[in-house]
Amino acid sequence: MNKIGITTTVPSEILFAAGVTPVDMNNLFITAEKYDAYIERAERDGFPKSMCAWIKGIYGAVLDHKMNTLIGVVEGDCSNTKVLLEILERKGVKMIPFGFPHDKEPEIMKHQIERLQTLLNVDAEAVEAWRRKLGEIRDLGIALDELTYKSNQLSGFENHLFLVSFSDFMNDPEAYKETLILKIKEAKTREPFNEKIRLGYIGVPPMQGDLYDYVESLDARVVYNEVQREFMFPRWEAARNVCEQYLDYTYPYDLNSRLIDISRQIETRNLDAIIHYTQAFCHKAAEDLIIKAELPVPVLQIEGDKLNELDARTKLRLEAFIDMLKDKKELG
Amino acid sequence: MRVLGIDMGSREVKIILLENGQTVLRKKISTMQFYRDHCRKEDRLIVDTKSLGIDQFDLGVSTGYGRNNTDLNDFTQINEVKAHVYGALKQSGQETFVLLDVGGQDVKLAKVEKSIMTDLELNEKCAASCGRYLENMAHVLEVGLDELGEHHENPIDLNATCAIFTESELIGHIANGDSTEALCAGVNFALYKRIKPMLMRFNGNQVVIGGGVAHNKALHQYLKSDYDTVTALEDPQFNGAIGCCHFGELKLKSGLKRGQINV
Repeated sequence: MNKIGITTTVPSEILFAAGVTPVDMNNLFITAEKYDAYIERAERDGFPKSMCAWIKGIYGAVLDHKMNTLIGVVEGDCSNTKVLLEILERKGVKMIPFGFPHDKEPEIMKHQIERLQTLLNVDAEAVEAWRRKLGEIRDLGIALDELTYKSNQLSGFENHLFLVSFSDFMNDPEAYKETLILKIKEAKTREPFNEKIRLGYIGVPPMQGDLYDYVESLDARVVYNEVQREFMFPRWEAARNVCEQYLDYTYPYDLNSRLIDISRQIETRNLDAIIHYTQAFCHKAAEDLIIKAELPVPVLQIEGDKLNELDARTKLRLEAFIDMLKDKKELG
Repeated sequence: MRVLGIDMGSREVKIILLENGQTVLRKKISTMQFYRDHCRKEDRLIVDTKSLGIDQFDLGVSTGYGRNNTDLNDFTQINEVKAHVYGALKQSGQETFVLLDVGGQDVKLAKVEKSIMTDLELNEKCAASCGRYLENMAHVLEVGLDELGEHHENPIDLNATCAIFTESELIGHIANGDSTEALCAGVNFALYKRIKPMLMRFNGNQVVIGGGVAHNKALHQYLKSDYDTVTALEDPQFNGAIGCCHFGELKLKSGLKRGQINV
């Protein structure tokens, strides 16, 4: 099966229907042992120091894995992707730009979807059949998410890992489905977590995967991963087609839709506070001031750059934050 | 309900005793005297509260510089920055602010949002730009600390903020015939120049000042030119001890009486 790299979640239904396997380059980058070598490679080739590490990591991963085609999301995700596509194109990688229309205009979305279908030579019926098929796996994602915040049997990292992987279904939907079934079965036998503080994680997935275990060592747990959950498309069934499904998606659109969903989750999941992750040099860092003004619970903004583990300062901040949250809960 | 708060600073130990929310004792003694005359060391430090004039309290909370130095037997120990945050919450009545605490030998900054600390910063191990720096410079200029803090206009330009190196730089300006007012303003402004980059790391336009240096009026002027709201705590030097008491009150009220002693 042909492989196509993706820079973030795209309608994978179209790819699978065309017999193409999507490969989320972010996952290849961040799980690579030499993830830092990817960044270094990009910087040696001329990417500025003041650019997001994810873009540089994707660049390194595309070259290292010799990907010959890449779908880049140029609207709704990261505007740096545009220049990434231009640079990679000159290195012989075939580029397919894709955009989530900022105003959620259905006609534009439809055009984007149809364009991708035409390029990959697949019809709408086949895509819809795959949407139903992948929907069954998404339902397992919903069950897994509930195991995190309802029965409290799943760790924050597991929730992150299994939801973030919905961007490319770990390159094999059938195998991924089996993995999820086994994970759910196993998790159901566990003793529930009983931590004092319940946290929500919002923003792009973190560079530092150890964040989850670190907060758990402080008697807190992340029971909501905003963007990762969106990658899973928990509302897929309410949509009538792939176009509607990808319009009912908060991450690439306006902040307001995100805030409405986050507020709902704060209530449903009984969250004490939010960790807002931003990537160094990303425009999304400025959203923090709106987020803090709008959300009813305390928000801690943390930043990641090139390192894939928490630095001492961020650990100290998390510790101070969680410590006072515990006071607030215990002392009123 | 009596709550005792002890903040063991680098120069002085501040003690507050609250009875039903009212301060019934407010005492400051030198750190040297506190450890020498009122404490003895067994497995942990044992403080003789009676010798401090305190005969009974329901809960003691301690904080200060260095975890080992402030771990008093029968006291609940809390982190120094947290104690100052609790003090500032109690004294300022605000929920979102940047706390700037300039003490004798250190600068502490804390970002507080919705009453929860979200960021903190401490100065490096050097005491430049702390109370001790002002004391040294006041000594060179032969003015009192209060007078030093009065002047903020037309500051002379001082490059160093090191309590030692600034002396020679200051003497050069004295020899040059600069006015005492401009010299004082120069010292105050040098202090602000050193603090400002630390403050700039936090966003926020509401600053609350604590610590002994909060008495420096020039510092207020400089802060007011950069921030929307600058609030000086009513009792800045006792803020850590007040924070201990506030924490202790909340703890007692919630019925979690860990560390309770009856003297």
